[in-house]
Parts: sequence; structure tokens; C-alpha cells
Amino acid sequence: MNQYAALLIALPLISAFFVPVIKSLSKKVVMPFLVLVTAVQTGIAAWVFNEVYSSGKPMIIMAGGFKPPVGINLYIGHFAALFVLIIAVTSFFMAVFSMKAITVEPKDKYVMLFLLLMLGATGMIATGDIFNLFVFMEITAISAYALTAYNKTGEASEAAMKYIILGGIGSSFFLVGIALIYGSLGTLNMAQIAQLAGRMNPTVAQAALAMLVFGLAVEAELFPLNAWAPDAYQAAPHPVTTMFSAFVVKAGLYALARVLYLTHAVGSWGHVLKLLIVLGTLTVVIGELSALRQTNVKRMFAYSSIAQVGFIAVGFALGTQAGVTASVFHMVNHAIVKALMFMAVGYVAFELGGVNLEDFKGLGKTMPLTAFAITVGAISIIGIPLFNIFWSKIQLILAALKAGKTGVIALILGASLVEAVYYIRLIHTMWFEEGDRDRIKENLIFGTIMLLLVALIIIIGVAPNFVWNIVQKAGADIYNAAQYIKNVPLLPGVSP
Amino acid sequence: MSISVYYFGAISLILIGLYAVLVKKNLLKILVGLSIMETGVNLLLISIGYIAGRSAPILSEGVGPNQAVDPIPQALVLTAIVIGVATTALALTVAINLYETYKTLNIEELRRLRG
Repeated sequence: MNQYAALLIALPLISAFFVPVIKSLSKKVVMPFLVLVTAVQTGIAAWVFNEVYSSGKPMIIMAGGFKPPVGINLYIGHFAALFVLIIAVTSFFMAVFSMKAITVEPKDKYVMLFLLLMLGATGMIATGDIFNLFVFMEITAISAYALTAYNKTGEASEAAMKYIILGGIGSSFFLVGIALIYGSLGTLNMAQIAQLAGRMNPTVAQAALAMLVFGLAVEAELFPLNAWAPDAYQAAPHPVTTMFSAFVVKAGLYALARVLYLTHAVGSWGHVLKLLIVLGTLTVVIGELSALRQTNVKRMFAYSSIAQVGFIAVGFALGTQAGVTASVFHMVNHAIVKALMFMAVGYVAFELGGVNLEDFKGLGKTMPLTAFAITVGAISIIGIPLFNIFWSKIQLILAALKAGKTGVIALILGASLVEAVYYIRLIHTMWFEEGDRDRIKENLIFGTIMLLLVALIIIIGVAPNFVWNIVQKAGADIYNAAQYIKNVPLLPGVSP
Repeated sequence: MSISVYYFGAISLILIGLYAVLVKKNLLKILVGLSIMETGVNLLLISIGYIAGRSAPILSEGVGPNQAVDPIPQALVLTAIVIGVATTALALTVAINLYETYKTLNIEELRRLRG
């Protein structure tokens, strides 16, 4: 039964290469095909989620029936099950959104790349082999490069170029990290790496982990390597921007946390955490300060998204279970909120043709539902009680307090203040400034999706316990390396 | 020849590539730099699996598992080469698009997105 979970990878892959066949039948069914595939994917992900959370055991899928470490295995534990579901649901919503928002041809190529992006992110989260992680990361990255350039304008090409160059550097670093780990341990299986991590020379391990952190920092949008993000977010098609913020970043962050926590037996682990905390802090500071002076709302949200990613990285860098859990909670909340906000902004751009701050004047009158959605998202990100991000920020602060890192608390509170400044400016522009446009009839389907996400934000905000329980299991899944090793049935007698 | 020569060569290639990416102004030179960097990484991976005096890991007469070098890095490098080709091809396509829009490949003149 477990083996069916391999469909999470197989379905988007097969469907992606099936698109040309569909296109030759009829050009009109390509987009509905995408919606169908993502809907099926959501169904499989929901089944996997239910299976993992009701049995409490992770699903291990062995490719070709070879036991690890000889074969490559997928590891769908509590975290992966949760995030695979988030990826599938977001993709489904964005597939629906794409039906209207994508007007540039060739749509069949768009559908293919969309599916490959979803596949890559799912694979990054599900894999149990570090080289396989690299391959999935490259699948994600290459489809993301192409999707960034999809609009074919000068800006889009430029953003894609930046992304390709940074991504190329990042993937080279990542490979060097893998080479160092393989050279010292002789294995690529993550469970076995965790098992043997204590044997690594601390200096080599420190270099290898630093390389891996820098390599993943491109996808995870951490400071020195995130220059591509605002440009790509601004220039990419709106559904793609949403996917970048909702799960591509999250896949990178997850990989970062997974690799770090599996190798916590190495002697120099603390130094790598220090590196990550510095990167995360710089990401927050630079993200928030840049967001403050943006006039393009999509770009402003992009910087805000980068800052939130910094929080998550800082949470992972605390090195405690509370920190990891708080980060995972923030990842979930941020995925919901940013999916809502980027979708709303994309819809505004689609109707009004621009997303500069002037276009948002009087949006409360022209598109009340969309303006309401953006307002709820903005209030939530600032961290006001009764909205979901309040709880994850509180948890991050508590975790930092417990770990004795008071600087992190100051960082979170200060950043929230800056967020309040630019988001309240936006809310003010939307509701209290007069625009010169007439009321636009909002699309019913998009309205429903936005209201669903708004409802989710408020439900988690009012009653966080249900999600908190799920998230605690997911956090423990990342933090507890010993359990991870125990869960993977390593072939006895095969050692490097 | 000792194995450290290969490590030295591989790391020099990576650094040369990184230098080109960071310093050069012409987009094509940057992409060449990226390729050089990838080659360096591939060489590093291959050197890690190298065992002095053994032959290529192809099963043939007189070559058993004990006479061959470690085959896993070679498989990894094959994958990495394919990924590198895909990235380079895509990057060149984007470069063509950029040239057709702006009529230049100098990255200092390409900066329209700011903030």
C-alpha cells in the first residue's frame, strides 16, 4: 500500500510529459488538464497525510524495491506529509487561478513547467537521499528559471538571468558539500549519514555543512544569495510568484533544516548554527528595510516574504526542538498568508493592469473582496492576535527565550514594527484614499478561494491547537534524528 | 602523481569560475565562468572516487570490483553533467532574449529592475 505514495512523484512527472499529447488533441484542454492533475495530486497527498498522521509512522518508499542504502528511498514522515499536502493544495488553487491569469502563449509549456515545479518541490521534501535532493533541487530550479522568464519581457529575462547565475553558483556549492560528505563517509543516504555523522572530521564537516547551507540558501532566499528573489517575484507570472513564496522557498528551508539536524552529531555543529543565525538575521533586517521603501506592491510583498523566511531560518538556527517546531508553524502560516496575498495582488494586476501603490487607491471600493483579503493577510503578518501568524511569532519568541537568545526576540519585535509601518500604509491606501475607478465585478471562483484562505487564517488564529498539534509532530520529525535513523530500514551489513 | 594534484586542480577550476562570475561584465563570460565552475566540481567528485592504480568501473574481463575505482561518484557526475547542460542551454536562451530586447550583453546596462 505504501508504494502508492510514489505516485506523488510519478503523477506530475508523467503528466508533464503527457502535455504535448494532450495539446495535439486540443489546445483548449491543456489548462483544464492541469487543474485535473493538481486535483488528483491533492487527493493523493490528502490520503498520504491521513495515513501518516493516523498510523503515526512515516511512509518509506524504496525505489525498485532495493533497500537503502543500496537503493534510493523516499521518506514521507510527518513533516513531508504535511508539506506535500500544502504544495498540492496551493498548486491546485494556482492551477485554477492560471486558467484566467495566464494569457501569454505557449500555454502548454507553462503547464509542463508548472507540473515540474510542483514535482521538484514535492521531491525535495520527500526524498531520503542527499544526491537525490540535489537532483530534485535542480528540477525545481530549472523549471523556476524558465517560469520566471515566461512572460518574455526584458524584465522577466533579466530576473531569470540573475536567478540562473545565483542558482548555478548555489548548485555548485551544494555539490561540493555533497562531495565532502561522500568523501568522508562514503554514503549518500541521509539516514546513514546521520548514523555515521559523528565520525566526520569536525573541520571537514563544518566546511561541508557551510557549503550545503550556501547552496540551499539560493532556494531558501537567505541573505547573500537572495538578490534574485524580488526581481523574479516581480517579473514572474502571478500564479508562479505565489508558488515561489508558498512552497519553493519552503522546500529549500526544509532541506536546510533536514540536513542540519541529521548531522547534529558532528563536532562543529554549533558553528554552522551560528552561521545560519547570522544569515537569518541579515535576511530579516535587509528584507524589512527594503520592503519599507517599495512602491510596487508585488515587490514589497516579495521583500516581506524574504523577511519571513529569515524568521524561519533563525528559528531553525536556535538548535532546540521548540525552535524547530515554531519555525515549522511559521512555515505553514506563512504559506497560507502569502498564497492569499500574492493571489490577491495577482488578481488586482490582472484587473487593473498594474500593482503600483497608486493602483491600490480606493481598492476597498473597486474590489472590496480582494481588498478585504489583502487586509486580513497584512494584519496577520504584522502579528496581531486572533490571526494565525501571531501564534507562530509568539512561539518563535518563546523558543528564543528558552534558548537564551534575547537578540532574536528583539529582532522579531523590531521587524514586526517595520512590517506594521508598511502594511498599514497599504491598508490606508486601499480603504481611506479615493480612487477614480468604478466598481469591478469580482470573479466568483477566485473570491471563493480567497475567502477560504481568509477563513483558514482566522480559524488558526482563533483556535490554533489543532494545527499546533500537527505542527509539533512535524517539528519532532525534523528535530529527532535518532528516530529518523530508526525509521529507515537500512540493509544490515552494508557499510561504507 | 598523488591524488592531491587533482583536488588542487579541481578547486582552482572552481575558483577561476567563481572569479569570472563575480568580476566579468559580459554576460557570456559569466556563463562560461559558471560552466568552468561546474567542471571543477565534477572533477572534484571524480577525484574523490579515485583509487590509485585501478581502472574504470566497467565490468569486463580481468576487472572485478576490487580492480575498479568507486563507481558512485561517476554516476553522480553523469547526472551533474546533464543538469549542467540543461542549465547552460536555458541560460543561453535567456541571454538571447536579453540581447534581442536590450541589444547589449553588458550587465551594467541591463539593470532595469531596481529597488
